[in-house]
Amino acid sequence: MENNEKLIEIKNLKKFFTKNKGFIKKNVEVVKAVDDVSFYIKRGETLGLVGESGCGKSTTGRTIIRLYEPTAGEILYDGKDIAKLGNHDLMKYRRKMQMIFQDPYASLNSRMTVSDIIGEPMDIHHLASGKEREDRIYELLETVGLGKDHASRYPHEFSGGQRQRIGIARALAVDPEFIICDEPISALDVSIQAQVVNMLDDLQQERGLTYLFIAHDLSMVKHISSRVGVMYLGSLVEVAKSGELYKNPVHPYTQALLSSIPIPDPDLTESAKRIVLEGDVPSPVNPPSGCKFRTRCRYAMDICSEVDPVLKDIGGEHFAACHLLDK
Amino acid sequence: MAEKLLEVKDLRTSFFTHLGEVKAIRGVSFDVEKGEAIGIVGESGSGKSVTSLSIMKLLLYPGKIVGGEVWFKGENLANKSNKEMMNVRGNEIAMIFQDPMTSLNPVYTIGNQISEAIIKHQKLSKKDAHEKALEMLRLVNIPDPEKRINNFPHEFSGGMRQRAMIAIALSCEPDLLIADEPTTALDVTIQAQILKLMKDLNKKLDTSTMLITHDLGVVADVCSRVVVMYGGLIMEKGSSRDIYYSPMHPYTMGLLKSIPKIASDEKQRLIPITGTPPDLLNPPTGCPFYARCDFAMKVCNQEQPPYFKSENGKHEAMCWLLHPDAPKNEVYDSLKGGVRIGK
Repeated sequence: MENNEKLIEIKNLKKFFTKNKGFIKKNVEVVKAVDDVSFYIKRGETLGLVGESGCGKSTTGRTIIRLYEPTAGEILYDGKDIAKLGNHDLMKYRRKMQMIFQDPYASLNSRMTVSDIIGEPMDIHHLASGKEREDRIYELLETVGLGKDHASRYPHEFSGGQRQRIGIARALAVDPEFIICDEPISALDVSIQAQVVNMLDDLQQERGLTYLFIAHDLSMVKHISSRVGVMYLGSLVEVAKSGELYKNPVHPYTQALLSSIPIPDPDLTESAKRIVLEGDVPSPVNPPSGCKFRTRCRYAMDICSEVDPVLKDIGGEHFAACHLLDK
Repeated sequence: MAEKLLEVKDLRTSFFTHLGEVKAIRGVSFDVEKGEAIGIVGESGSGKSVTSLSIMKLLLYPGKIVGGEVWFKGENLANKSNKEMMNVRGNEIAMIFQDPMTSLNPVYTIGNQISEAIIKHQKLSKKDAHEKALEMLRLVNIPDPEKRINNFPHEFSGGMRQRAMIAIALSCEPDLLIADEPTTALDVTIQAQILKLMKDLNKKLDTSTMLITHDLGVVADVCSRVVVMYGGLIMEKGSSRDIYYSPMHPYTMGLLKSIPKIASDEKQRLIPITGTPPDLLNPPTGCPFYARCDFAMKVCNQEQPPYFKSENGKHEAMCWLLHPDAPKNEVYDSLKGGVRIGK
């Protein structure tokens, strides 16, 4: 399903959080959660977004869907900038964009029945009522592999995997084009993860959905995505087709990240040459100057502390931000 | 054959809830040799954590060991009183937990918390214990330990807190270290650091390690032997090569098939295990995996299968398909070659 039409395009997106410090003498600290990120997602494809906790991948997702107000930058949906739209105008786009959340225990209202949870988005958008609404709820439940009899139950009666299915049914209720999956499988057991991933795959095929798949499990991201973006401390450091990224990572951070995935194969693990990064991710309140990764980079040069590298096209839809590429 | 450090025999633990008896583990037997690293793999609710808590006798009400023996250095821990266990815990068997934030005390400094165990078990003076604590922090590669020893847990990052936990656990030179999901809460790059540290220390100090995890990748990295648990029972155990390259149990095969292969080029569909784990309030009489198994036979639902051993006797699995009279199943036989994830 090759398609070159860009459904979503993000240009220089920034999201800063301010934190008040001190009671009498007020200092304002700025956390640069997403700092100048640009990428695009083509219709019908899946873009994976990976990175360690605190790298801004979830914030990026939430800002795109306007759960957070962007500090600066453009969010183009089908060519139209939705970054500054007011609530009323945004409603139209809210129907097209939906989100699946990480924690299936916290993201479903425990006082609502399953049919109310799935029906609520339809009510908000005035899509269906009465018998039609009920039929659609049953249909959606069937789509995600649950049954009619589940409709009148409450979330606590379900297992984690089943709850995640309810969350997916809710997202599908408004017939969206674009779904942001924010770590949809991290809270699930291995044997259940594959069930949910396969279902997301099937839904994409059937309905031509476009996904932004946010996760820290690199092997799962590789499996589901057509292209993968790697984030570090609020910046996008590398984007490429998933096969290419895993075979030929250019950025030193991507290399380290990939080499630290534990492979379930004893022979390979023995022979694997691990790049173990020293230290921790620096604080986003006070990120290093220039390239943010330089403090942990094996190849850091003088220029890295002075100039922030920009994403460079190295051919075949492969972009990376590293000074090593200029050599 | 190496000396056995820990021998668990037919251990059974139940939780007596108001709904009835939840049989969390229903007869688990395995052993840990001196100096080796053994992995216990399973999904949530498989009983892997309850196994470790039962060994340490850290079960909280309404949990209770209802049967079996835990032999550790010639003594049966299952019969020991809480007071006697105090000398074992932390001293001879130490434990590290999943979440380093909640397992450290926020109101004491890191140095204080390391010294506490040393003063209690090794009867050192406060000053000597402080020295020892410094040495431990150096051992786990905490940068600038002289300064860091006076820090509080909130001043440490997640990875450093887990290092501090390891320092506390190893401070009394235990014979056995039980690590319950030690890297689950950490990022991959930090996980790689901690796993490397654990492997290095395992070699350096000759401490046996029991690693409990749901991540088959982590186990392949650290452990030489693997125990696969499901529904409160051990489904299969053997060397990690046995488990990954020639699995005998359909559950192990299913787990291996449901992981995406990172090194392969083309996109292959994942093969999930359908259904959900059994309810241990009313555990099935037969094999707990019966309802989800592709190869289930009539007998599987009626009677719990015994363990069948491989030729060398080191690899065993609980499955009726291994019975000499079992009908031949070609699909099952084809999966016996294991799944080469990396290739």
